[in-house]
Amino acid sequence: MFRIRVTDAMLLRDMITAISTLLDEATFDISTGGIKLRAMDPSRVAMVDFEWPKKIFDEYVCSETMKLCLNISELLKLLKRARREESVELSLEEKTNRLQITIKGKYLRTFNMPTLEPIEEEVPIPKVTFNAKAEITTEGLRQAIEDVSLVSDHVRIEIDDEKITMRATGDLMGATIELKKGDVAFLGVETKEVSIANFSLSYLVEIIKAAAATSEIATMEISTDMPIRLDFKQQQEGKLSFYLAPRIDVE
Amino acid sequence: MINKSEVAGDLNIDSYTTLGVKATCLACRGGRLLCGKFQCPILLRLYSFLKVKDVFHSKRVFGSSPPGAFVGRMGYPHVYAGPLVPPVVGDTSLFNMPEKWLGKSVDEIVDFRTNLIRGKFIVNVKKPSKNQRFARTLLEMALSKASVDTELTFRKNPRGGFLLDNTLQPMGPSGMLTGMTAGASKTDFVVEKAYADGDLKAEDAVLDLYLNGLPVSRIQRVFSLGAFGLKERRRMVPTRWSITAIDSILSRRLIEDKVKGKRMINEHRVYEFNYLGNRFVILLIPSSWRYEWIEAWYPGTTWNPQGRRVSMGGDWEGYNGRTTYASIGGCYYSVRLAAAEFLSQENRQAGVIAMREIHPSFTMPLGVWINRESIRAAFKQKMRKFDTLREAISYIKSRFTIAMDAWIEASSLLKDALYQERIIKYF
Repeated sequence: MFRIRVTDAMLLRDMITAISTLLDEATFDISTGGIKLRAMDPSRVAMVDFEWPKKIFDEYVCSETMKLCLNISELLKLLKRARREESVELSLEEKTNRLQITIKGKYLRTFNMPTLEPIEEEVPIPKVTFNAKAEITTEGLRQAIEDVSLVSDHVRIEIDDEKITMRATGDLMGATIELKKGDVAFLGVETKEVSIANFSLSYLVEIIKAAAATSEIATMEISTDMPIRLDFKQQQEGKLSFYLAPRIDVE
Repeated sequence: MINKSEVAGDLNIDSYTTLGVKATCLACRGGRLLCGKFQCPILLRLYSFLKVKDVFHSKRVFGSSPPGAFVGRMGYPHVYAGPLVPPVVGDTSLFNMPEKWLGKSVDEIVDFRTNLIRGKFIVNVKKPSKNQRFARTLLEMALSKASVDTELTFRKNPRGGFLLDNTLQPMGPSGMLTGMTAGASKTDFVVEKAYADGDLKAEDAVLDLYLNGLPVSRIQRVFSLGAFGLKERRRMVPTRWSITAIDSILSRRLIEDKVKGKRMINEHRVYEFNYLGNRFVILLIPSSWRYEWIEAWYPGTTWNPQGRRVSMGGDWEGYNGRTTYASIGGCYYSVRLAAAEFLSQENRQAGVIAMREIHPSFTMPLGVWINRESIRAAFKQKMRKFDTLREAISYIKSRFTIAMDAWIEASSLLKDALYQERIIKYF
């Protein structure tokens, strides 16, 4: 038996949008305590680590641990029909193994969609020691990333004691964005050493744009030429983190 | 005086030409007239070198159509359409079947294309039935699987030597039709069925026929005459557009249904094929589906006439495909079809980086079929296997005359494969 309900449809919709930046199909781990998902994108460059404890939901009924695999883009199509202030209920119909999506607002809508064969792959957390950590507003981060994406398809991120610097060099243009102590978007930094790494913007732009809708504050952690971890602070002990492997340029 | 800066900007032709002649030509290829001239100067120059065959001195032609049909794009939705008929009786199917042209010389191809006399009539693509006299006969003829004896009469003697295009096969002389009669045509059950089914979407019809083993050029011909699709939405499609439409539909469906989700190849593979001054090299990398097509035109080749340097262009897509038209044009989709076809037959998934080096001995554009068929042929050659990407790249370097660094610089996927780390490395 599995049934969940949220009173604000946007909450669920934004979260599924964030997950959809990396995944077409997602296998959720569902237990009595809440819902978890940890998976890599098809090219195995990035990873999402997501967790929503039971208490985020307005109603949470789960009788046993199970895996639920869904086509994320199809689910998103249905969720996009829901408006703010409408409630959404997801429940698993055990006989047919189909997921029922009920949207309650001005009128009642019930959709159903098939569940897929779960992928039995345990994805571990990357073993990385991060030497620099910065906290910024998601809005500030989103703007900065959109700025650098104007000139290139990859960005060099540097964190030192005082600031985050993003640098991009394209064929014709270049960009340098600085977020430092005193800026409204900049909330704090902790560094063991100055760290620099390069990342593909096609991933960063998508991830940050979608995740920014779910959160106000982001934490960015890097080490020189190692993956980046982006954590988007969620309400009520929820978790949404992304890992992205670096680009190691020879030049 | 114009004082709105946006309006002034639109009139400022400089902003289009700053690309430099080389890049403009590569982007346009005689199709869009980006240079602002009335006719493409490059094609015009080529025409002047072609020896014009004996002008056709008759208002009447009788012969076996391969079968062939042509639908123009100028004036859409009111376009010129019509049959292609050579003054030859017998099995002429070779004249209109690019699948069988590989290995032929430019002269041979030009020769049997100039033999095809093209009749023209004007038709509204959405209402071909309004042109009862010709459109109906043309459709019946085009559905045929064998050559159809056809008689055409023209208002004046057919004129014009030769039409070159980057997407289309070369075309011969043409004239406005006054009469057209076609003999018995035979068609296959599968084509007849798709034509008769007004509830079958064009995309599904096309895929069905392909999986039934029909050659791509035949599917394209029938498709261009508006024989497929939901009954009320059927329409004729200009030949040039229909070639790319078929390549695009078929490859997309093959990728979705038969490539994605399959096991990845284990090694790096390199395939190669040379034809008419073109060197095709395909690199398959062990990864999820992704695809890139890059062309390099030597100075002195068609679309890089005045340049001193090699002109390179390409486009790519990731696992999720693309939503915009490939900047490099129809050849992108022809090659994608050849690659998707190969992977689906192998039952495997891979990243595909297909490259084409065009040397000055390749003198004129022959159509996108040369890419599709050459890549298909390359996949039939013996492959070379490599354990690492670096080994594969150093082999490719020995096959090309253009420096490998230039290929890497032009390629998004090579850069990604070389420089982008995978997250699994850190587990």
